Amino acid sequence: MRYKNILCIVLVLCSNTGFFTHYMGSGAALKKWVVNENSSLSVNGSTNINKFSCVIPAYGRIDTITLNKSKDEKGIVLSGSIDLKVNSFDCHNSGMTKQLQKTLNQKQFPLLHIRFLSLDRLPVITAKPQLITGMVDIEIAGVTKRFGINYQISQDAEKGIDLLGSRNLNFSDFNLIPPTKLGGMIKTKDQLTVAFNLNMKTI
Amino acid sequence: MKKILITGLIAGCILFVLSYGGLFLGVRFFPKLFVAYDNPLFNSDGNRDVLFYMHAFIISFALSWFWDRFKVLFKGTLLMRGLEFGLVYSVIALLPVMWISFSSLDITVVMVLSWFLYGLAQAIIAGLVFAKINP
Repeated sequence: MRYKNILCIVLVLCSNTGFFTHYMGSGAALKKWVVNENSSLSVNGSTNINKFSCVIPAYGRIDTITLNKSKDEKGIVLSGSIDLKVNSFDCHNSGMTKQLQKTLNQKQFPLLHIRFLSLDRLPVITAKPQLITGMVDIEIAGVTKRFGINYQISQDAEKGIDLLGSRNLNFSDFNLIPPTKLGGMIKTKDQLTVAFNLNMKTI
Repeated sequence: MKKILITGLIAGCILFVLSYGGLFLGVRFFPKLFVAYDNPLFNSDGNRDVLFYMHAFIISFALSWFWDRFKVLFKGTLLMRGLEFGLVYSVIALLPVMWISFSSLDITVVMVLSWFLYGLAQAIIAGLVFAKINP
């Protein structure tokens, strides 16, 4: 009985001083963002003869991103990801669409993943776009790479959150070979720009 | 046989320069014509590039044999013999291949026409070379 009382006192003291939130994790989520199905992603690149822009115009799923305070209390830890179907890309030209899907090895790796890891701070969401940075893991064709991303976050007319992010990547970052045609006379450049526009709501 | 090989080799070198030089200039100055090649129908990892660049010699040796076998049928000036040779090859070999290619592959009319004209030009140039060095 005496031990039980001592244990109760210790537990109360620990919870009041923030012991658990500091040492055992971040506790309850600060916010949760639900990614709406009308979010989109685009991949822009070029060859020596043209430019291409391939889009996944509508995400088609609903996912959640959770925001927690990081251990150092400065940044924000994110958990959540978006999983995009490679065969949903549309390059506005059937041949180029098929080529991108082949280059991204769609048959073996049908999904492209973006895992949200962190933000440099908790954004105050207003109609005026705000610039923040963060880290993501991008997985393409079974290879995962970590990147810093510059985001622009704002509130839309329907009180939703628009999160725009973009990043230059290389095919070679993911062990992919940019296609060449006609004995190398047509060459796709290694660099791509991946841009996403997440339309979200706070829950 | 030696004559066929030598004329084939000479024609192959000339066609190599003209064909790939022309293709290079075409890609550079008329890029829109080549956008349709960004398609998995065409080899994209470069593992067949050597075969691609050997084409000038393959067609030259084949046409050199054809010329040696049937050259007596092509009469007139050097220019006329070369032109007729190119047209005969194009009608007999190219046209049916282009026809079946267009009917069975997801390719455009412009693409097929350009291949036909490319092959016709190659055969006329080869015919002129053969008429000159193996009359």
